[in-house]
Formats: sequence, structure tokens, C-alpha cells
Amino acid sequence: MKKTIIASVLLATLGAAALPASAEVVVIVSPKNPASRMFSEQASQFFLGKSNLFTPVDLPENSAVRTEFYKKVADKDTAQVKALWSKLVFTGKATAPKEYASAAEVKKAVAADPKAIGYIEKSAVDDTVKVILTLP
Amino acid sequence: MKKQLLAAAILAAMATMQAQAGTLDDGNLSISGFGTVGVAQSNSDTAQFVRYNQSEGVADSPRIGLDTNLGLQATYKMNDWLSGTVQVLSRKGPQGNFGTDVTWAFLKAKINDEVSVRVGRVVVPTFLISDYQNVGYANTMMRPPIELYAQNPIENSDGADINYQKAFGDLNFTAQAFVGVSRGKLFVSSGSGSVATYRAPAAGISVSGEYGPFVVRAAHARADMEIDDITSLNTLSSTLTTVGFGKLASDLNFKDGKKIAFTSVGMTMDWNNIVLQAEYAQRRAKEPVYLADTNAWYTMAGYRVGKFVPYYAHAAVKGAGSSVSVPASFAAAPAALRGAVNTLTGAQEQTTDLVGVRWDFAKSVALKVQLDRVKPKAKSGYLIHAPAAGTTKAINVVAVGLDFVF
Repeated sequence: MKKTIIASVLLATLGAAALPASAEVVVIVSPKNPASRMFSEQASQFFLGKSNLFTPVDLPENSAVRTEFYKKVADKDTAQVKALWSKLVFTGKATAPKEYASAAEVKKAVAADPKAIGYIEKSAVDDTVKVILTLP
Repeated sequence: MKKQLLAAAILAAMATMQAQAGTLDDGNLSISGFGTVGVAQSNSDTAQFVRYNQSEGVADSPRIGLDTNLGLQATYKMNDWLSGTVQVLSRKGPQGNFGTDVTWAFLKAKINDEVSVRVGRVVVPTFLISDYQNVGYANTMMRPPIELYAQNPIENSDGADINYQKAFGDLNFTAQAFVGVSRGKLFVSSGSGSVATYRAPAAGISVSGEYGPFVVRAAHARADMEIDDITSLNTLSSTLTTVGFGKLASDLNFKDGKKIAFTSVGMTMDWNNIVLQAEYAQRRAKEPVYLADTNAWYTMAGYRVGKFVPYYAHAAVKGAGSSVSVPASFAAAPAALRGAVNTLTGAQEQTTDLVGVRWDFAKSVALKVQLDRVKPKAKSGYLIHAPAAGTTKAINVVAVGLDFVF
């Protein structure tokens, strides 16, 4: 009985892992950053250019994790986010987040800058960065 | 043929810039741009429909000049707190052809996380979307409603501004104040049309609050407009002076600098697929001048369906009186002269109903189709090259545009 439960849990986990749509996205900062927890409303402020306290870094526009992150954190699609940033960039109010090609590069950039904030899939987390928000 | 060449040049410029953006980006320099490739046509050749400060508009044959533009921007980050930005914009302007203006050129110093100061040329934030009205991709509608956006003749100023941004709980507060001198050319639609040169010391402040999907903004700006080369006005002034109405002549014109105030409140909402944008603005002369006082407003509502945003808007501008008081003795002046002064001090009045759709069909590109039903009232509204007697004939303007950013 116990084994069956374990087996089905395992299967369910595997099934979930195989579906990229249900991958968990986490928001990360440098371990040197004093922040320890954050609400998604707060995180969205940095990624939508409404606060300068942290410096956001992005994954490439064609990344599924990026699409999922903005959907979960701000309920906005890529085009809506782009239109918002266009207002800020072309009025000289802010510079669009820098893009990094992969989760590994995002981690490197975040680890190197105490003010940086990024997002990656949960499975890519290691101890070079600190998770401050998990988006299920 | 000429137009096809232009379109090809714009596309080539885009491709080059995009290619260079990658190579030039050494981490401190970023190059970006925006633009619109559009074509528009109306159903009437009685008068022409324009964007504000264009001297050639659209009539009953297709034209690309109304909405087509290209902006290029370079920002260089010197260090954590200092950066420089230059933006140039090509579009059809007051002199009939496509011209390129330096719209922004400033050094920005970040004082702390909440305050930054910019020195140089900045676009004046008179109204809600003033500072990004040329970025089609950043807007829902094809173009800013001319009823409201034509109220302010000045676009940018050379001076300084200060920006403040702070979160108070869930409320995001921003404030901006600027002071500087604006210079430029204005298209004067009276007669067969002419171009005037202005200089205007200007200052203003705007405050906005963002709470969840709601943004509310209020702004006030003043400009001391000085123009001395409006030919038709100068002719009228000298006639008035000759027949003994020198005071009225100097009241009417902009020669010694006349203070004008702009006050506006605006809001946007983007909530559960409902997109709203509304604004109300007043223009008031603080010293006697021919330019009429006006009240203008518009409201837009859209509903997001996947990658489509169909929208509807209504815009209107009405006269709110004149700052010039005509002396009692002027009643004895020739009828033609009285008529000319009366017409000059009247406001252009107009309303527009428009429907459109924005389609974000690909990465960084949006396609818009918009149909405007323009109803000119007093002084042919904002239509140009209208018959001398004026027109109140409603026209339809259909436009298709491709907005892009890179």
C-alpha cells in the first residue's frame, strides 16, 4: 500500500516535471542582498520599472520561463510588458532590463550584484543565489 | 516612387540599427528605437486631416506622412549614477517634408533611488502621454487625439527636470518638474498656411499616483510664448495700428511674449482585460493674446481579447472665451476689420469618434487599424487647407499602421 502511494507520488512528480507549463519559477537575489522574502506585487514593481531599488535582469524574450514569470507575477504577456517598458525607455526614465541567455548567466549576474534581481526555473537554483519568492 | 524609397530607407535603417545594437552593446551603450509605418486616407478633399503641427495632411488619396515616423535612441551609462541619452525623431512636420529633430538630449544624474535630475533637452510632460505620444507601440490608439494634444504648441525644452519616484505601501507616487526654454517652428494654418518661429521660456510640474491597475495624473505648465513672424497676424496688426487701435494690435499678437497656462488631469486603467484612458485639459491665456482659451477632453475604452485590443474613443475641443477685450470704439471700425479680429480670437472647435483595433501579432510589432469620424465645427476644427469660409462637413479617416520597437 505504502509503496503504491510512493510510486504514484513519484509518477505524479515525474509527470509534473515533464510538463514545462507547470514548472515553478523562483525570484532570486544575491546572497549579499539583505532581503529574505518578497511578495509577487513587490517583485513585479522592479520588473515593470516602477521602482529603482533593485536592478532587474531578464531571460531572452523567446524563453518560456520569461513568459511564465510575467504571467504569474503581473498577469501580463510579453507584448504588454514590452509596451510598458517602451514608455519608460523612450522617455529616458529607465533602461530596459538586461537580457541574459540562460539561467546560468542570470545566476552569475545576480550573484555578482547585490542590487540585482532575477528569475529562473526552480530546478536551476544553487547556493550562488538566494530565493526570495516562489511562484507556483 | 519617392515614398517607396523612403519606406525602404526606414526599413534598412531599422535592420542596420538592429544589427548594430548587438555589436555596439559593450554593456554601457544601448541603442534602441521605435517607429511606425502607416498609411492613411480620408473620404474628402474639402480639407486635410493632420497630426498636430503638420503642414500636409491626408485627403482622398492614400498618404504615408500622417503616421509614419522613426525614432532612434542611444544611451551611454558612464557609471552607477551618470548617463547620457540622445533621441532623434524623423517625421512629417511643419515644413511639409520629413524632417529629423533632436527630441531628447540630456545628461541624467541619479541622486538616489528616488530622485534623478536631467540637464539638457527633455520633452515637456504637459499632458498624460505627451512624452511618449510619438511611440506608437507604447500607445493603444494610433495617434494622440488632436483635440487635446494640439492645445499645447511646445514639444520640448532646453533646461533641466527633476524626477521623484516613491512607493507608499501599494501606492506608487511620481512627480516631475521642469524648467527651460523651448524653441521651434509652428505651422500656422490661416490663409494658405505659413511657418512661424517661436521661443518660449517654460516650466511645469506633474504628479501621478499608481494603485494597482489605476494611474491618475495631474499637471500644470506655463509657457511665455514669443512669436513675431506670423505674416497674416502682422498684416492685421499694422492695419489696426494705422487706424488707431495699436493697443488691440499688441494685445492680439505674440510679439512681446504672452503667458499661457495648461492644466490637465488624466487617468488610465488596465484591469481584467479592460483598458481605459481619459483626460481633460484647459488652455488659458494669462495675458491678452489672440489664441483662444479652450477646454478639451477625450475618453477611450478598449477590451483585450488575446492579442487583440479593439477600442473606441470620443474626443472634443471647445472654446472657453478670449483673453482679448475689444475696445468699445472698435464698433466704429470697418466691418471687414471687425470680422477679421472676431474670427482670429475665436476657438477651433471639433469632435471625433474613433474605433480601432491593436493586434500584437508578433514580437515587438503591433498592427493597428483605426477609423476616425471627424466633425469640424468652428474654424474648420483642426483640419487644414480648408476653404476660406470654413467647413463643418464631417470626414472619415481610415489608417493602417505597423508600430515597432527594437
